[in-house]
Amino acid sequence: MTCHDAREQFSALVDDALAPGERAALDAHLTTCADCRRELQRFRDTVALVRAVGPVRAPAGFVDRALEAARPVPWYRRLVRGLFLPWPVKLPIEAAAIVLVAVGVALVYRGAPELRQAARFDSVAPAVSRAPESTAPPAPGPGPAPERETDARRAQYRARELPRAPDQVQSSVKDQGVKGPAEMQDKPTVATPPAPAAQQSAPLSRDAEPQKTLERGETKEPRASVAERERGEYLRAQPAPATPTPRPDQAKRSAPAVTGLAFAPPTGVSGRLAASDPDLAVRGVSELGARLGAVENRRVDAPGGGYIVELTVSREAYAEFVRELARLGRWQPSKEPSELPAQVRVVLQITR
Amino acid sequence: MEGRTGDDALLLDRLRRGDPRAFEDLVIAHQHRVFGVALRMLGNRAEAEELAQEVFLRVHRAIGEFRGEAKLSTWLYAIASRLCLNRLTSGERRSVRQGEETLTRLVSCEVGPAEEMERAELETALHRAIAELSEERRIVVVLRDLEGLSYDEIATALELELGTVRSRLHRARMDLREKLERFLP
Repeated sequence: MTCHDAREQFSALVDDALAPGERAALDAHLTTCADCRRELQRFRDTVALVRAVGPVRAPAGFVDRALEAARPVPWYRRLVRGLFLPWPVKLPIEAAAIVLVAVGVALVYRGAPELRQAARFDSVAPAVSRAPESTAPPAPGPGPAPERETDARRAQYRARELPRAPDQVQSSVKDQGVKGPAEMQDKPTVATPPAPAAQQSAPLSRDAEPQKTLERGETKEPRASVAERERGEYLRAQPAPATPTPRPDQAKRSAPAVTGLAFAPPTGVSGRLAASDPDLAVRGVSELGARLGAVENRRVDAPGGGYIVELTVSREAYAEFVRELARLGRWQPSKEPSELPAQVRVVLQITR
Repeated sequence: MEGRTGDDALLLDRLRRGDPRAFEDLVIAHQHRVFGVALRMLGNRAEAEELAQEVFLRVHRAIGEFRGEAKLSTWLYAIASRLCLNRLTSGERRSVRQGEETLTRLVSCEVGPAEEMERAELETALHRAIAELSEERRIVVVLRDLEGLSYDEIATALELELGTVRSRLHRARMDLREKLERFLP
């Protein structure tokens, strides 16, 4: 064994990790080599120095911090981490997504009135020409007439809607609830027909109004009952297009008013005016309307006695109209929107 | 650690059964050793604590995968060593002057001022010498001479051949002998 070979085994010798044969050979060399014995001693001293280094202690509170780190993270923290971490990557992406959605929503809202307008103009012209074709002839007399008229009215309603594109129909139906008076006023100029067909289409289109009133009123019982009566009364009071309105003064006004109602918005006021003398009250309502510049659209006899009167009152005059109504009888509004349109449609059921 | 085999087996059994206090007992029992390895390898106390926490976290997550063929302490040293070596080679390290924060007192009796000064100088030289070892030699010295693991345990923890452990340890000690020449008697 050379000195180099012997010194290669010093580390294992210090750790007592030599095999018996290796140990014997090394011991034999060391007995004859003073340099290796000295070198071995220095090696042992070095190892002793290193092993004299004291133990390290973990810092105070290490156990608590380690336990805290190992505690399961609550689901909401994991969710937040999943959604937002790493911040530099996910935050810009999420911000961009929010901006895109906001821009999209804004564009849809801005585009909606234009779509609505386009749908309305597209649909009006075919409505006049198709109305007689799709409408069943009104059956005179009692019995199933109201049902047939209802079907006919629905058919005509569909006929008006058919020419539109599906998306336009949807937007139009939705938009009817927010239609303004300005839109309402431009309808008669387009929809008023000069031919006999107009005589049929106009009353039928007028039906859209009470029907919508009914549909909207179904959510609340009192509102529904008034609207139901209005609708039922109207259907009974409309046997045929040629049947005149019983009141001569109303007949004068009915033609323009009826066409105006063809696309009247469903928003309006309805209620019951209980008066000791309904005849006196209905005259008072007419005079009151005339005084305030209101237009009496129609007037029909109520089935249980009394009248149902429909007027259009300006928003400015509406407050005074209601005040004056209270003088004519006990006014109980069943539907009164919080925000009134410029032209308020008021349906009164004048009862005893 | 050798004397704690029975305790480790019991602790391991409690950990596997999901005893909520078992993990706390594990941290308490092994915190100083794990932290010591991390500190001597990384040379920075904050970084060493962070790594030691990571070691216990991994043990907590993977206790079900521990087959028990080695001692629990050897498993801990294995995780700590691997994490240290990975961190040292990853380059994602805080800038530290290695060796400055690893100083610990040499085990000795009370001495006079002159001896105290000499011992402080020796401590500085000793820690610097250890810190200046290459990473693969340093971890072997730390596990053998500072933590007292056997060659077999070191080979298991570092996944090395026994001959490699012996060779690296010898080279490391020879390096230290040269660096500490003037402090030898």
